[in-house]
Amino acid sequence: MLYILRRVAFYLAAFFVAVTLNFFIPRIMPGDPSARIIASFQGRLNEAQIEAIRASYGTTGSMWEQYLGYVGQVLRMDFGISTVQFPEPTSSLLFYGATWTLVLVGIAITFAFLIGTMMGIHAAWNRGGFFDSVFTPINVMLNAFTPAVVALLLFYAFSLQLQWFPLGRAHSTGLSPSLSFEFIGNVLYHATLPVLSILIVSFGGWHLGMRNVMINLLNEDFVILARAKGLSDRRVRYRYVARNAILPQITSLALSVGFLLGGALVTEQVFNYPGLGKFTVTAIESRDYSFIQAQLLLLTMSVLVANFLSDIANVVLDPRLRKG
Amino acid sequence: MAVKNLKSIKTLALLSAGAATLALSMPTLAQDRVVLTLHPIDSDALVENFNPNNPTGPQQMVRDFAYEPLWIDNIWNPDKDYPALATSYEIADDLMSITYKLREGVKWSDGEDFNADDVVFTFNYAKAHQDYPMAIDVHVEETDTGSVVSAEKIDDYTVKFTLKEPDSLAKYAIGGIYPLPEHIWADIEDPKNYANTKPVGTGPWTEVTNFSRSSVELCRNETSRYNAENAIDCLRFLQLNGNEQIIAAMSAGEVDWLGTGLTDPEITFTPQSEFNNYWLPPGGDVNLQINTTKAPFNDLEFRKAISVAIDRDTIVDISTFGLTTHTRFPVGTGETYANWFDEAALEPYTWLMQYDPDKAIELLDAAGFVDADGDGFRDNPDGTPISFEINIPNGWTDWINTGQTISENLQDVGVNAVVRTMDQGAWNDKARTGDFDSYIMWTNGGPTPYNTYNPMFNPRNMEKGRVDYQAMHQMRLPEVEAALDAFRSTADPAEQMEQMKNIHVAVAENLPVIGLFANPTWYEYSTRNFEGWVTEENPYVRPVVFEGTRERVIHALSLKPIAK
Repeated sequence: MLYILRRVAFYLAAFFVAVTLNFFIPRIMPGDPSARIIASFQGRLNEAQIEAIRASYGTTGSMWEQYLGYVGQVLRMDFGISTVQFPEPTSSLLFYGATWTLVLVGIAITFAFLIGTMMGIHAAWNRGGFFDSVFTPINVMLNAFTPAVVALLLFYAFSLQLQWFPLGRAHSTGLSPSLSFEFIGNVLYHATLPVLSILIVSFGGWHLGMRNVMINLLNEDFVILARAKGLSDRRVRYRYVARNAILPQITSLALSVGFLLGGALVTEQVFNYPGLGKFTVTAIESRDYSFIQAQLLLLTMSVLVANFLSDIANVVLDPRLRKG
Repeated sequence: MAVKNLKSIKTLALLSAGAATLALSMPTLAQDRVVLTLHPIDSDALVENFNPNNPTGPQQMVRDFAYEPLWIDNIWNPDKDYPALATSYEIADDLMSITYKLREGVKWSDGEDFNADDVVFTFNYAKAHQDYPMAIDVHVEETDTGSVVSAEKIDDYTVKFTLKEPDSLAKYAIGGIYPLPEHIWADIEDPKNYANTKPVGTGPWTEVTNFSRSSVELCRNETSRYNAENAIDCLRFLQLNGNEQIIAAMSAGEVDWLGTGLTDPEITFTPQSEFNNYWLPPGGDVNLQINTTKAPFNDLEFRKAISVAIDRDTIVDISTFGLTTHTRFPVGTGETYANWFDEAALEPYTWLMQYDPDKAIELLDAAGFVDADGDGFRDNPDGTPISFEINIPNGWTDWINTGQTISENLQDVGVNAVVRTMDQGAWNDKARTGDFDSYIMWTNGGPTPYNTYNPMFNPRNMEKGRVDYQAMHQMRLPEVEAALDAFRSTADPAEQMEQMKNIHVAVAENLPVIGLFANPTWYEYSTRNFEGWVTEENPYVRPVVFEGTRERVIHALSLKPIAK
């Protein structure tokens, strides 16, 4: 219990530091939100109008006042309005982007983790065997590919040339979101290539991680004992070795949640997928402070929460941690 | 996307006449509508906002199509203008006012009448909401800016606009006012935050239909006077972003009309689909803006040397992929205003646009720009080293290539110039300070070259901290300022020609900017679903899809579905 409490205190401190950094980092960049809006008029504004726009889209008050106002907003869960798509509330765009990112990256990470880990277990158990000597090098190689190349290749081959899959988007433009089979099927159809492009480059990492930890554990005394007791292969493999080997994998999985909500920028760009990565890049380019802040906050929150969950999972899986 | 079964206009007219039957059979008919898909703005997600003066996207969708201006200037064919909500205008002899006759019998899409009250309301509304720019240059007393003082109702269909100063060009700006319906907007207190989800306009397409984050349609206004000739039921706007996606969408038949930047179109665009077409008429010029407030740029001989040291053939043919065009005279503007050139007066300056590195070396040597410290590069006559940056935003490939060519050309004649790319925000901030070496910069356009030269030489645009992109050279030329005043204050075309000649000669004489090339006007269209597109053979209007080109509604109305 004390272990969990210590972690909670740590997360609260980390959260506060993150909130502060979220505020200052966007403002350190040159430029401000009104500049983009003024630039979009291409010189058709007179000075009075420029001043009026600066005052109303820009920021007023000293940095300190703005900071206090921002902290107050965060505590009230008010994320302000977007200047890129003025005057849309930031939260609605963030929610929209986050939903599609969860679909895309969520599916991709889940499959990558399951496939990679299972392959790792298998490769380690029969190390040096046929499966290990074929798939381990192949997966390592795939893992070294950059997502950009894979996404562009898939897009070119299957969307543009063969036209088996759509050019992009999360679903067909004619459909409105619903829980019907038609809509869900359409979403999965549209997500296939984007998910594949992330999956292909990421499951090799899980494979390799799982395999290496497994191999180390296979020579441990408790494994030899388990075997000597005459336990079934299956039981030793999963309940003894894999259960211990998966602990560092769970911690990495928590870390990859940051990747999850950061969006998969390259994939989203190639397949015009409305995920958070695209929104965030546009927001950064046009200094949409409120969106950048909200997105960074979401990112921090989810990494912290995921880490917290992985701490709990570790406690559940590893009884030794329960004492401390 | 399913192949559209395009009905003939006649059938559609019949169908819409039987409104009751139409309502009953709506679901099947939805497939048969004639829909033109155009792409005037990139976005990550569409937003349910149709405020005609919101520049972050809505303005691109509803101006011209749902909200009409008073007058549509036909910039390419000035004798064939398209009157819109006004039918005629009269400029007072003293050029201090301009009176518009409004079109009678026009109804807003909710059935209310359009009349002079709406126009006067619109002007006063713009005056009351300075932070909500409505394309009206309202005069503000406190800052002494803006040109239009008042709008006055003469009768139900006549409005008189009074100007601050005599201005023969006011018709272009005032014609571009988009009147708002008073009965709707009078109650809106904070217009910039108003989403206007149900636009009420007078244009051919006003009804927002099928909104989603990825697509929205603007459908036929049943009260529009264009309905007899309008073959298009709905305009569709898609969420799209990034050149590859946009070009792929057109190739797949999802988009009909684009204005996206291309590189190597014969490889990347035309082969993608037999229906893909493009035409890139010369647009506004691009210049090298040099900071003439500091050495060595304050020396005219140095500027002349730079101008002849640049190899513009390489820039046009290679750096900018052959999509740009040459400019004949060193006056900062080019072929879009070709009929304003007095060729005899400008002939003596054409050598400044010719690549001649030997001449550059000669000029630099004669003016005392020699290598004093032995580092291989020329120095100022006082011995201080010359080293300057050409600033360009990250990712603007053609301009970065151009900058690199210029840098190589200048290093060939011993001048140390380097390209510096930066984030757009930083690039923008640095420009405003007035403290920089040089920028590659576009020019503002308009119906006459006045629209280019006024921002370029208006001293208000040269104040440090608020330097305008166009005036980054920061050189005041009194003769140009006087000629601009004279140009604006006369309605006599011959006098205007004369004043423009004075401006051209003064610019060529002083070289405040170094001319490079004319940008292409981006225009791509698909002949899959529609015919009647503007082409090089039939340039009836400017074919630009973006807001700011009022003729775009005429272009859309001229398109007819191809029978399948």
